[in-house]
Amino acid sequence: MPRTFRTVLVLAFMALWVSAASAADKVRVVATIPDLKALTEEVGGKLVDVEALARGTQNAHELEIRPSLMLKLRRADLLIENGLELDSWADVAVQGANNPNIVRGAPGRVDVSRGIQVLEVPSVRVDRSMGDVHPLGNPHYSLDPGLAPIITQNIVDALARFDTDHRVEFEKNRQAFLARLDEAMARWTRAMEPFKGAKVVVYHPQWIYLLSRFGLSQAATLEDRPGIPASPAHLTRVIRQMKEERIKVIIVEPWNDLKLASRVADEAGAKAVVLASMVGGVKGADSYIGAIDHNVTALVTAMK
Amino acid sequence: MRAMALIVISMCTALAPAVAAAQDAAELRKQIEQLQKQLDAVTERLRRLEAQPAQPTPAPTTPAGVPPGPGVAAPPPASPPSAMDLARPRQPFSLYQQRGSGQLLFDMGIAGDFVGNITQHNVERAGGGTFPGQENRFFPREVELSLFGQIDPYASAVVRFEAGEETRGAETTVHLAEAYLTLLTLPYGTQARLGQMRNRFGWSNEVHEHDLPWVDRPNVMRNFFGPEGLQEKGMEVTLVPDLPFFIEALAGIFNGDNETAFGRGSLRYPLVTGRLRTFFELGLEHAIQLGMSVGSGYTDEVNRSTILGWEARYKYRPDGWLHPLLTVTGEGLYSFRTVDVGVDLDGDGAIDVVDKRQRNHSGFYVGLEVQPFRRWAGGVRYDWSQYPTTPGWEWAIEPYVSFWPSEFLRFRLAYKYTDRSPQTRDAFNLNDSSARKVDEILFQASFILGAHPAHPF
Repeated sequence: MPRTFRTVLVLAFMALWVSAASAADKVRVVATIPDLKALTEEVGGKLVDVEALARGTQNAHELEIRPSLMLKLRRADLLIENGLELDSWADVAVQGANNPNIVRGAPGRVDVSRGIQVLEVPSVRVDRSMGDVHPLGNPHYSLDPGLAPIITQNIVDALARFDTDHRVEFEKNRQAFLARLDEAMARWTRAMEPFKGAKVVVYHPQWIYLLSRFGLSQAATLEDRPGIPASPAHLTRVIRQMKEERIKVIIVEPWNDLKLASRVADEAGAKAVVLASMVGGVKGADSYIGAIDHNVTALVTAMK
Repeated sequence: MRAMALIVISMCTALAPAVAAAQDAAELRKQIEQLQKQLDAVTERLRRLEAQPAQPTPAPTTPAGVPPGPGVAAPPPASPPSAMDLARPRQPFSLYQQRGSGQLLFDMGIAGDFVGNITQHNVERAGGGTFPGQENRFFPREVELSLFGQIDPYASAVVRFEAGEETRGAETTVHLAEAYLTLLTLPYGTQARLGQMRNRFGWSNEVHEHDLPWVDRPNVMRNFFGPEGLQEKGMEVTLVPDLPFFIEALAGIFNGDNETAFGRGSLRYPLVTGRLRTFFELGLEHAIQLGMSVGSGYTDEVNRSTILGWEARYKYRPDGWLHPLLTVTGEGLYSFRTVDVGVDLDGDGAIDVVDKRQRNHSGFYVGLEVQPFRRWAGGVRYDWSQYPTTPGWEWAIEPYVSFWPSEFLRFRLAYKYTDRSPQTRDAFNLNDSSARKVDEILFQASFILGAHPAHPF
């Protein structure tokens, strides 16, 4: 074996060992979606090492279970999940990770939907004729910045359960984050004030929490039913409705068909605007506050 | 002066109770203030507790006697539990807390898979189609009821019943397809699966008929493991070591009931299996999984049968796409098998001695699928395979198109051409017909009712 190759090999192993040793002091957290990763980083600061299973540009409803996800979960101390059946695919990844810390029911498995007032909980019997409905209610609560205090409280409790000594620091980080969020919230509320009561059309019905927070309402969806691609007849109905009700905006997720949404928007004299359905979903939405900021700014610009 | 003294004394006498009363009042006020403070603190705490969502209190790895919950140090889960930890009784806790009363504590789903095929008359007579004995028929190949969920904090279970029409026009039979439990909390990155299961041998063997990306199981898998693939009763253990890259090692021990490949069906002559699987992501959009498998057991005649397998699966999924644009899958098998061959030494037509001979045969397939739209995919699979013990080989090509009206419903149409070598004539000439060259149109309709686990890579 040439000496250079041997040296490189030894250095690589040393680098791995050093990085593993430094990571060992931190709580190793895996979040199912980037929003929860961002919030955990805000709360955990330098005391945690966080990874996300889904990327911001992906559809969190139906993630492909790759062994790379199992690798992330293999060493996790905590798995933070959104719950409400948005990320139930995590079960398959956990099963392949052979990590008892995070199997369902273990203390390392944290569902941060506890305490959230869930919207759109079906009040009638649901079945798949209604599309890919969520029987436990709309799971996209992380899009509402007003619910961040509850989510972060759940995260603090989970981290503190694992690392009791740093509970005060986690709480301090949380309060600092919530103070920044409060400032931003005041700004967002002022910006959205003129559009209170306005109607929007969404591609997929995942924006109800954000819309409710700022007093907007969802008039229609481009999808025929949740998860069911639109038929031409349905699109015609939506265009007619948009014209009649003078709806100016179609909200599109980064993973949905922007061309189709733009075509419908053109027909109806509206704008199709891509919002960050999760942190990292669009350029500039790299933090939790950054993502909400992007969404509010984009909505305000489109509705003007 | 005396009068003055009297006045002072009488005033003191009169004021003394008033001063005492004032002192009492001040004391009382102080107490009330303290009580008020306490009440405020309790109210504030109550308010915070009410605002704060309930936490999952149980901690299965918490040693007995230590109350779990917020503020209590959990043992660092990074270190694997000791044998004593595993043996110690642990606290039960409620599962599926979000579910209401009266709801099941496990999931269930039904998958229906119906296939049809049209082929030549001679192929039907010879029983040489992709679905032998079911040529030119539409039939339920697999209607599967799956029940799956957690048994307790430490194990999960899967039970699957399958019904299907196995022979032409016969009553639909129901049988137990799979029933196994998985021990989830074993130490050192291990996990064990016990029961009756589809073996994790290669990529496609574990995949159920309705989840396959083709209408039929690849020829090489059917030739070497039978029409339903390798399904065995026994135990598998997997190890995922704590490394910077993904690698999964698997070892298993089974009865060896599969008559096509093994057939001895006894733990005294067990089927031993193994698999190594790894995975690489090449950027965000490209991913490849590679694996090697082995199965070694005994045939009914107590002859050694060993099968080696190789697998590769590549996917290209542009960032943000809901589905892969390109998927390439390939598997190869190589079989080493000892067989008994009767030898006529003196040419009188009677077998004089039974000789042991070695049959080393192989096969492979490669499949390519392109999915430019969410609802539509098209692909082609090429098969080449020998037979485990008989001479000859066959190759086949199968282009197909799939259409998904929704995530839970799929239709597939395929054409398959199979060409068998002349040596196989004896094997495919039933009823004076030949099935050496086979043209088939295959149709498949699959649906899912209820729960269905996410698909692995």
